[in-house]
Amino acid sequence: MNAPNEFQHRSDPIDYAAFRRELVDFMQTHCPSELREKVRRNHKMVRRDYAAWQQILHRQGWSAPSWSPEWGGTGWDLRQRYLFEEVSAELDCPPLYHHGLGHIGPVIMHFGTPEQKNRFLPRIIDGSEWWCQGYSEPGAGSDLASLKTQAVRDGDDYVINGQKIWTSHAHEADMMYTLVRTSQEGRKQAGITLLLVPMNTPGIEVRPIRTIDQWHHVNEVFLRDVRVPVFYRLGEEGGGWSCAKFLLDRERLSPASVPRLLRQLQQLEVLIGERLRAQGGTPSLLSALDRLYTAQASAMGAREMLLSAIQEEMAGTLRSSKSSALKLHSSELAQQISSLACDLVAPQMAPRLLPMDEQAPVSQAEDAARQLVHTYLFYRSRSIAGGTSEVQKNVIARDLFGA
Amino acid sequence: MAFAAIPLFDGDMFDSAHRLAGSAEARREPGLGHARAGERWQQMLALGWQGVLVPEDLGGVGAGLAELAAIVDGVARHGLAVPLIERCAVAPVVLTEAARQGAPLADLLSDLSLGEASVAPVLGQPGPALGADGILHGQLSGVDLSEPASHLLFLARQVQDDQPCWVLLPWSEALSAQHHVGVDAAQCSDLRLDGVQVSAGARLLHGPAAAKAAQLGEQAGRLMASVVAVGAAASMIEQTIDYLNTRQQFGVALSTFQALRHRLVEMYVAYENLHGLVRRQVLHAQDQGLHSAERETVVIRRYAAQVSRQVAESAIQLHGGMGMSWEMPVARLAMHAMAVGLQYGHPAQTLDWLSARSLADVA
Repeated sequence: MNAPNEFQHRSDPIDYAAFRRELVDFMQTHCPSELREKVRRNHKMVRRDYAAWQQILHRQGWSAPSWSPEWGGTGWDLRQRYLFEEVSAELDCPPLYHHGLGHIGPVIMHFGTPEQKNRFLPRIIDGSEWWCQGYSEPGAGSDLASLKTQAVRDGDDYVINGQKIWTSHAHEADMMYTLVRTSQEGRKQAGITLLLVPMNTPGIEVRPIRTIDQWHHVNEVFLRDVRVPVFYRLGEEGGGWSCAKFLLDRERLSPASVPRLLRQLQQLEVLIGERLRAQGGTPSLLSALDRLYTAQASAMGAREMLLSAIQEEMAGTLRSSKSSALKLHSSELAQQISSLACDLVAPQMAPRLLPMDEQAPVSQAEDAARQLVHTYLFYRSRSIAGGTSEVQKNVIARDLFGA
Repeated sequence: MAFAAIPLFDGDMFDSAHRLAGSAEARREPGLGHARAGERWQQMLALGWQGVLVPEDLGGVGAGLAELAAIVDGVARHGLAVPLIERCAVAPVVLTEAARQGAPLADLLSDLSLGEASVAPVLGQPGPALGADGILHGQLSGVDLSEPASHLLFLARQVQDDQPCWVLLPWSEALSAQHHVGVDAAQCSDLRLDGVQVSAGARLLHGPAAAKAAQLGEQAGRLMASVVAVGAAASMIEQTIDYLNTRQQFGVALSTFQALRHRLVEMYVAYENLHGLVRRQVLHAQDQGLHSAERETVVIRRYAAQVSRQVAESAIQLHGGMGMSWEMPVARLAMHAMAVGLQYGHPAQTLDWLSARSLADVA
């Protein structure tokens, strides 16, 4: 793959090659080998993995590439940010934890009071406070504005009652940003407020949801008379929908997603190469190559879409249809890649997904192959979470047809 | 406001190509392109499009691949079956390479740029055999003669050393020819060359140098065929949106049906993905040279053909019966997209090419 040449200007004083070398040197030297091995083998990342790497990056001043320097961000330009994600993916460093740095952090910067910014942002950037997202409810998935979890003002507090579902990482989070209903009047979007809830508040119960991938990442969160101060309200009462839309548009525009897919494609090419070496060009492996080439082109296209979308976002010209198209395409691509990988290993590993004896010796290759099955199953959620593919299609269609 | 596709490379080149390709032209009998030039093609020649890639010191415009891509994109929006890739990309690239290697082609390249000559190239086949006596044996298949050519440019195989050799012959009505009309009404001609004498001056390049020129020509063809895929898809999407917004069934516009909207979105997302990919690869080849990133260009070419086919089939389906009618511009666009999808790396060719590379890499 050739290096991205977008946004490069010959007169630009930034030496991108030197910058890239600096990234490579730092990541190779400072990212713990056991973490990189875990990423390389596609293991599920948990808080301690993310946090360990984020704290290392924080000491270097690199933990928030997309944030402004005012709040501890790097102040990097677009190309530097993309290079950071690219090198990080190529060297199997953990991705940055998205709920804090990528999602609620920018929302707090945009909608928060100075006191809220001072309270929350430093702990996001140093990795000491961990966030989860309380959006979906049993009766409000794609139709998020139908949410029923209620917050009632009681003096200087809100008292919350209701239930959230599909809450990723709630079991290891310190804080949850959540959409609640504060009014039944008017349009249903108008009665929604964004609250920030400490997860150790009495009345919160987190229950794990067992998913088909057999990894624990999502939960149900029950809220019974949960009391949070008004200080924890972000924006105006009834202004939560604007915050949610602001966040969703950024969620669809994650600069990390495409480099990770490109890295997975590299791994897949190696895996197919090993099979070819061992078995020769069997029809099934030639068919796998066919799918690989299509995915490679598709991923290169996704990279271009991402770069242009980020550029448009910075210029304030990004349309929802573009970010939705990127989300839709990336989700499908992730599923194509994981599906191909799974097809190569599933006959052997699908029946052996969970070893009963976790202490039993297992080869690296076998462990990595097992994770490919987990990943395939986990990636079924790529076209569901963050707005289903069908919802993305509706968003895009409105823009394309002008109605 | 409904969707309007952005050109790959915005500017005067795209605008004038788009305007010219969309202008009216008197109807010609299909299958006689070798004998009589179309009005639009004559204007394209006069505009010097064949010389866009020819360096200035060889009498050309000396512009880059992005400028040519803008032209090809503009013409592709109308699905016009003119031999733009062959005459404006492949032939100039091969001839320029030959001139750089010492072949005396300055006059011809200058004539190309002035529109006073037009060279029809053929790539990617074994070609006729060239005996030690300078006599050709065999057939030249698949020459695009949708418009008249002054010369034929093709690879022959020299019998005495089994090496490729580029041959430049003046077009002659005396050649035994079978002409065909393709799915997009382009004219494909198969020529018998048995007994044709090739002078020493008509042999341009030989051996590895000939192979290198062929590779450059093929790369230019791959890139521009991918550009056609983008341009044709852009128009098919625009026209399909317009049709669905206008056509009423069950008392409402077709664009109100979610199943149809979603299929259109799938066309758009594939197009958007391809657009950035092709634009980037054209710029890359312009900066780094046509010889660079060959594997990626093949991967992209393959993908472009797949997307092109997908968009074309969906456009036909979403137009219902009208999508089957030759009178509908979108149907002709779909046929053109299909035809170009088979050139400079059709899906089977590119798959074989890439698979052979992968197998060689692990050997």
